[in-house]
Amino acid sequence: MGKVRSRIFLMLWLLVMGAVAIIMLYPFIYSALAGLNHKNDFGHIGSLLPIPKRIVLSNFLYIFTPNGIRPLINTVLRTAWYTVNVCLMAVLVGYVMARYEFKGKRFFFAVIICSQLVPGVLTLIPSFVMVSKIPFAGGNNWMGVGGKGLINNILMLYLPFGWNNLLWAFLFIQSMRSIPRDLEEAAEIDGCGFFKMILRILIPIQKPMIAVIAVNTALSTWNDWMTPFIYINKIQDSTLPAYVGMLTAQLQAFGERDYPKLFATATVAIIPPFLIFLFLQKYIIQGIASVGIKG
Amino acid sequence: MGKSVQLPTGVRKRGLTRAQREARRAYMIILPYYIYIAFWSLLPLLIGFFLGFTEFDGLSGLPKWVGLANFKTFFSTNEYLILLWRQVWIGMLCLLFNTVFSFFLGLALNVNWRIRGFFRTTVYVPSVAAVSTTTAVIVALLSPVDGGLNKFLQTIGLEPIVWSYSQFWMVFWIVVYFVWRNVGPAAIIWLGGLQSINPSLYEAARVDGAKRWQEIRYITIPGLKYIAGYIILTGIISVMQMFDVVMFISRGNPYGKTDVLMYRIYRDGIQNFNLGMAGAQSIILGIVTIIFALMYFRLVARSED
Repeated sequence: MGKVRSRIFLMLWLLVMGAVAIIMLYPFIYSALAGLNHKNDFGHIGSLLPIPKRIVLSNFLYIFTPNGIRPLINTVLRTAWYTVNVCLMAVLVGYVMARYEFKGKRFFFAVIICSQLVPGVLTLIPSFVMVSKIPFAGGNNWMGVGGKGLINNILMLYLPFGWNNLLWAFLFIQSMRSIPRDLEEAAEIDGCGFFKMILRILIPIQKPMIAVIAVNTALSTWNDWMTPFIYINKIQDSTLPAYVGMLTAQLQAFGERDYPKLFATATVAIIPPFLIFLFLQKYIIQGIASVGIKG
Repeated sequence: MGKSVQLPTGVRKRGLTRAQREARRAYMIILPYYIYIAFWSLLPLLIGFFLGFTEFDGLSGLPKWVGLANFKTFFSTNEYLILLWRQVWIGMLCLLFNTVFSFFLGLALNVNWRIRGFFRTTVYVPSVAAVSTTTAVIVALLSPVDGGLNKFLQTIGLEPIVWSYSQFWMVFWIVVYFVWRNVGPAAIIWLGGLQSINPSLYEAARVDGAKRWQEIRYITIPGLKYIAGYIILTGIISVMQMFDVVMFISRGNPYGKTDVLMYRIYRDGIQNFNLGMAGAQSIILGIVTIIFALMYFRLVARSED
C-alpha cells in the first residue's frame, strides 16, 4: 500500500519536475536551433521550435573567423584577467587582515562591510561621468574637458575594479579564521618568507575557498555584459555577451533584424558559463551558501 | 640551510621590530588596493552626491550648481514619481512570484531520490546565462507578425495577440522572464534552509501525533524565517535597481507604460545627456534601496548572535 502510494508520488513528481526542466531549458534549445537557420527562412518557420529548413552553420562559424573573433577573445582575456586579479587581491588582503596586527585594521575591515551596503545605482551614472572626464585621456585637457575620456577605450574592459570585489576578501578572512595558525608558525620558524608562505602554505590549504572565489568571479565577469555595453560602442572592442545585448537592443528599433546571427552569438556566449557551471557546480553552490545562508 | 632560526618576537632586525615590519607589510598590500578601489567606487559615489545638485549635459563646459531644483522637479511633477511607483510595483510582482515559485520548487527538490541532482542543475542553469543573451528569445517569440507564439496560437485556432501594445502582457512577460531566470538560485537557498532544520524536530512532532500541516506550521515555517528574510530583502534590493529585463523585453513600451525609474536613470545618464537629473534620481532610488540594505544587514547580524 505505502509502496504503491510512493510510486504514484514519484511518477507525479517526475512529471511536474520534467515539465519544469523543459521550461528551464527551452530558451537554450530555441537559441541553438534558431542560430542554425538561414536569415531569410527564420520569419517563415513554424511556431515554438525554429527547426531549420536548411542547416546553416555560417552564423556560428562567423564568430571564429578573423573578422568575428575579437569579441570572443576580449571576453576570454577579460575573464582571465579579473579571475586572477580578484583571487590575488582576496588572498593578499584577506591574509594580511586575518593574521597581521596593525593600526587601522578595524577601519579597513569596516570599509569592506560598509562598501557592501552601497547599491549600484549610486555609482552607475557617476562612474560614466568620471570615466568620460578623466584628464589627458581620449582628447581631454587637464580639466577633463574636450574629449571622450576612456569612453570607447578598450582599457575599460580591464581597468575598473570596484568595491564589490571586496566581498571575496571578506569571505577569505572568514575562512582564515577557521584555520589554525600552527602551520604558518612552523613555516615561519623554518625561515619561510612572505611570498613563499602565500605560495607554499596558504594557497594549498585554502584551495577550496580560492576555487569558490575563482569560479564565481569567472562566471560573473563573463556574464557582465553591462560594463562593455555602457562604455564601449565598437563591437571589435566589446565582449560577446555585450555584443548580444547590442543586437537584442536593436531588435526593437527599426532596421534589419538578423535573428539567426543573434541567436548563434548568444549560444556561443552561453556555452562557456554553462560548462563552468556543469563541471564546477559545487563551488558555485558553495558560493551562494557562504554569501547567503551562513550570513 | 633551512635551519636558520627565526629571531624571537620583539627582537630588532634591520632596525624594525617584528610588529613594525608586519604593519609595514600590511599597509604595503592593503593601501594600493584600497586606493585603486576607492578611485573606481568611492570617487564615483562622491561625484554622484554632487551631480544631483547640478545641471550638466556632460558634453561642454562644467556642471552648473542648481541646488535642489532637480529634486523639486522629481517630486513636483508626476513624470518621475510614476516611474518610481512602477519600479516598485513591477519589481514587487517579479519578487512575489519568484519567492512563491522558488519556495515550492525548493520543497519539491527536498527529496532523497538520486535524480534530484539533475533537476537541481536544470533549474539553476538559466541564472548562469547573462540577461543579454537570453531575453532575445522572448522578443523573438512575441514578434507580432512572424513571432513563434502568435503562429502557435493560430495553429491551435486562436486569434493572434499584439503583445507589445498591451501593458498587461508586457509586464506579464517581464515577470515570466524574471521568474524563469531567478527561480533557481532562490530555490537552492530555500532548499538549504529546509535541509538545515533539525530532522529530530519532525520525529518528535510525529511521536506527539502532529499532523502534516501542523509540522509545516510549527516547525518548517519558523525554521525558515531567516531564509525568507534573506530572500525577500536581497530580492527587494535587486528589483529596485532592475532595468535590464525591461530594457530588452519591452523598452518601456507601450507608450512608456512599462518604463521604470532605473531605466530612466540609465537613459538620462548615458543616452540623453541629462546628467543632473540622472544624479538626482540615482540619489533618491539609492536612499530607498539603502534602507532595505540596512534591514538586511540587521537580519544577518542578528542571525550571527
